[in-house]
Amino acid sequence: MITPPEINWLAILPLLVLGLGAAVVLLVDVQWKPAPGRLNFLAVVILGLAALGTGAQGWWLGRHEAGEVTGSPLPFGGMVVIDRYAIFAGLLLVTVAALGVGAGARFFESLGRRAAEGLALLLLSTSGFILLASTTQMVMMFLGLEIGSISLYVLAGFSRQEPRSEEAAIKYFLLGSFASAIFVYGVALVFAGTGSLDLLDHRTLLDREIILRPAVLLIGLGLVVVGLAFKVTAAPFHAWAPDVYQGAPAGTVGFMAALAKVGGFAALARVLVTGFESYIGTWGTVVAAMAVLSMLLGSFLAVVQSDFRRLLAYSGVAHAGFILTGVVAGTSGVGSIWFYLAVYAIQLVGAYAVVAAVSGAASAGSPLASYAGLARRQPLLARALTILLLGMAGIPLTSGFIAKFGVFQDAFRAGFGWLVVVAMVASVVSFFIYLRVIVAMYMQEPEGTEALSVSRPLRVVLVAAIAVTLVLGLFPIPLLRLTAISLPL
Amino acid sequence: MVIALPLASATFLHFFGRRIGEPRAGYLATLAVAGSFALGLGAGLPFFSGGAHATVVTIWEWMPAIGAELVITWDPLSVLMTLIITGVGALIHLYAVGYMHGDERFSRFFVYLNLFVASMLTLVLAGNFAMLFMGWELVGLCSYLLVSFWFTKPVAAAAGKKAFIVNRIGDLGFLVALMLIFGAFHTLSFQGIFERAPEVLSSGMATAIGLLILVGAAGKSAQIPLYVWLPDAMEGPTPVSALIHAATMVTAGVYVIARSASIFELSPVAGPVVATVGAATALWAATIALAQKDIKRVLAYSTISQLGYMFLAVGAAGHIAGLFHLMTHAFFKALLFLGAGSVIHAMADEQNMDKMGGLRKHMPVTATTMAIGTIAIAGIPPLAGFWSKDEILGVAFARGGWFSVLWIVGLVTALLTAFYMTRQFVLVFMGEPRWESEVHPHESPRVMTLPLVVLAVLSVIGGFFNTPFRTALEHFLEPSFEGVNLAHPPEGWLMFALLAGLSVAAGLAGAAAAFFAYNRPADLWRRFEEAFGPLWSLWRSGYRVDDIYGATVVKPGLRLAEETAFRFDLPVIDGAVNGAGRLVRTVASRARAMQPGLVRSYGVVFAGGTVAVLAWLVWRGG
Repeated sequence: MITPPEINWLAILPLLVLGLGAAVVLLVDVQWKPAPGRLNFLAVVILGLAALGTGAQGWWLGRHEAGEVTGSPLPFGGMVVIDRYAIFAGLLLVTVAALGVGAGARFFESLGRRAAEGLALLLLSTSGFILLASTTQMVMMFLGLEIGSISLYVLAGFSRQEPRSEEAAIKYFLLGSFASAIFVYGVALVFAGTGSLDLLDHRTLLDREIILRPAVLLIGLGLVVVGLAFKVTAAPFHAWAPDVYQGAPAGTVGFMAALAKVGGFAALARVLVTGFESYIGTWGTVVAAMAVLSMLLGSFLAVVQSDFRRLLAYSGVAHAGFILTGVVAGTSGVGSIWFYLAVYAIQLVGAYAVVAAVSGAASAGSPLASYAGLARRQPLLARALTILLLGMAGIPLTSGFIAKFGVFQDAFRAGFGWLVVVAMVASVVSFFIYLRVIVAMYMQEPEGTEALSVSRPLRVVLVAAIAVTLVLGLFPIPLLRLTAISLPL
Repeated sequence: MVIALPLASATFLHFFGRRIGEPRAGYLATLAVAGSFALGLGAGLPFFSGGAHATVVTIWEWMPAIGAELVITWDPLSVLMTLIITGVGALIHLYAVGYMHGDERFSRFFVYLNLFVASMLTLVLAGNFAMLFMGWELVGLCSYLLVSFWFTKPVAAAAGKKAFIVNRIGDLGFLVALMLIFGAFHTLSFQGIFERAPEVLSSGMATAIGLLILVGAAGKSAQIPLYVWLPDAMEGPTPVSALIHAATMVTAGVYVIARSASIFELSPVAGPVVATVGAATALWAATIALAQKDIKRVLAYSTISQLGYMFLAVGAAGHIAGLFHLMTHAFFKALLFLGAGSVIHAMADEQNMDKMGGLRKHMPVTATTMAIGTIAIAGIPPLAGFWSKDEILGVAFARGGWFSVLWIVGLVTALLTAFYMTRQFVLVFMGEPRWESEVHPHESPRVMTLPLVVLAVLSVIGGFFNTPFRTALEHFLEPSFEGVNLAHPPEGWLMFALLAGLSVAAGLAGAAAAFFAYNRPADLWRRFEEAFGPLWSLWRSGYRVDDIYGATVVKPGLRLAEETAFRFDLPVIDGAVNGAGRLVRTVASRARAMQPGLVRSYGVVFAGGTVAVLAWLVWRGG
């Protein structure tokens, strides 16, 4: 007899909120034709509700662990999961998306009637990445990955008057499809090797028996890792990132990059840690190699960029490498990965928000020359960007330092001392990248003389990003405690 | 909280100082420091009654994994240091209100001064070496800012730079010591280190750490061979000299060694080396002080010499004697510096003692208080200097062996100290006026004389905190040195009388000799100095150490820097960097030129990477 799967609506509450919210945004737009600013506000409210939904999951999980409520944390036949890992990912993704709305407020306003579509896509993309992070089922992961990515492909080409934006969208789409195909093929091979799609089954299986000829399984796992490495722009699967992040509308790039990084790493770490930690000796080297390649390529190529957005994209490749440094530590590295992701994702949104303010929200490209003398044209932007870049560089007393220290420490304890040495070299090199921009902002003569205006939502985003950089740099303990317990089931 | 008050005041004055206007900014700063003195006193009271235990307060956790947090140690040792810093600091702040009167950057001066007090408190209250080092560097920075406060004077700017560079050398040693400590203990927290020191450290390791700490301490506390910056630092405003270069910052080295007592105890070598450096410095600087003409330079070399005494004490494990002398020295040396400042103020910025004399009649308060300071430092009972100096000498004598030699050195230094201080007093305040006719000396305003009087009182009674008859300070400090074998002066009346008699005799002899040599017309004492011939000019030039350092260290250093900059750096390093950049650019542009259909080539890279990943996985795992 088939037992009906257990239903727990709470598990998909944030997804429901976001999905319905996207529909609501579109319908409201059709019915009332509100001013675009109002729609931005509505989107933030929906994201806030989703955050509440995630919070409710946390509350439920707490009571469940205390034995006060019955029910499984794996409802719907194990298709989704409620665990601390998913909850932290959900909260982080929703925060990043909300900040992304703030950073892109100008852009969405400039879209006029199409703003609703853009915001709906943003909400859907967020829901996709939340799903990606909150399931142990590989097919569900694929679903989440596609929902999240396809929305981003469209957003990348959203600025119609910019040919470079369309080019970026096409490139993103083609290569992204390539990556997705590889991911699905990997899932199929993993199924062929184990007979299951569920990471929890894989764990019990691998704990119980030794697979004599695991080649099929390993090829599958490798393809899955490659597919996710594409999303997080780890080298050598990063080639698309500079073009896309340069060409896509400035107002959207921040959360595009940040959402994909958070979601991708959440899934990558869950696959490797939950399902296949017993193979850590095998995949550890692959991940370490990707980390080295990402850190070195990212840092060195960022040095020679003349466009700030390409520079940030390459530095994003380097950051992916730094985070991978934490992944090699397995379960014990998860806390540091979360800390790093949380800090970096928010700094990234902040940095691209400055780009949007300097080069125009719908623009493609942002030459470094336009940052010369920014301190004189708009001191607020220059100061904010300086703090964010110092945070990304990992200067002590910023949260970036704590984040780097955490992943390095975990990798070192896991026996990857050589990797930590490479990472330190790369972080020294990467310091020059950011310093170059800071020097240009303060020491060089400005090109134009007109003052730049900073809108109110943008101001909020910048303040939040600076707070994350400085406050968490000085008082990292609360977040460190939180990330340390945000472990997968 | 004790730290926060001066820090808040510094921040406030930084932003609003100019608006508040001249005297009020100074009073606010003074109040802030006095406030933290009151707080420190209140929080320290339980220790005086003997009922309290040392507590550790964690203010802020930064990276607990390596013991780098803001943790405050509140034990008798830090209470004592806090009270000295804030107490003497408040008096000097008050004095500075008068002294800096009319300076353009009046409020800025108090910003730095407050910042210094806050940093110094950070140093002495720190509960781990990370925070201590932070305070250590911050006081160095403040010292640099304050020495070159009158940066328009090239001498002052150069002096600031010198202080900074020499201190860096010491800091390097200290930093290496910290790394060794972290390597051995995996933490920087005092508790974790000092409790486990006997188990963890071998005596060789303890010696290495101890000697490196000594290098750092010698830099900050101006000991041989790193003392050269302190005399030059006298280019700063006199309150700065009094606060930083006499009463507080320079004692940081002594404090660190006392704090690390349990490390030094494990090494058979480190302690005696510290003591020897101290004794040598004491004698060396005292001879230089004999022949100085500049009123502040006499005091500067005297400070170096007195710090040598403290090093002698802590090196001989007489930590309490060392800290006792630190305290009394803070009283009377601050007094002497402020008195000298008062004289300089009165003489329209004249610092040459040749052009003074007979000032007693014009500045009675300054003269009286300076006389008390002179007697105190000369070690004549019952003033403060006698008790503390005598305790140090007693400790050295009691240790015997090599320390007996150091004891004799200390005794000779005591004689010299009495001599040069009396010489200074006589030259400035007695005899015939030798100043130029347009100078009209006058007594300083009340804000300046009040601190003088208070400090004079302290110099008189400060010694009674710890006499052989009443060991209050010793009882007070003992909990801080739990588990450390302290050296004590010899017991017994007869011994005490004998030793004390000897040092008093030395002091009196020195003072009397100077009095008779200098209390006569100028040509007579000039002839007296000439009788020493080249020796005197050698002393006057400070053994020409600056010239020697200039020829042996500075000039080759400069040449090395130039060589590296132009011969090596430009073509080699820059070439390599530019070359690497060019290489990357070339490769990047080649790559760009190679790609007419970008997406396809990206796909190729992608596929290549995938194949590499799979190949490895299959090869390793399959």
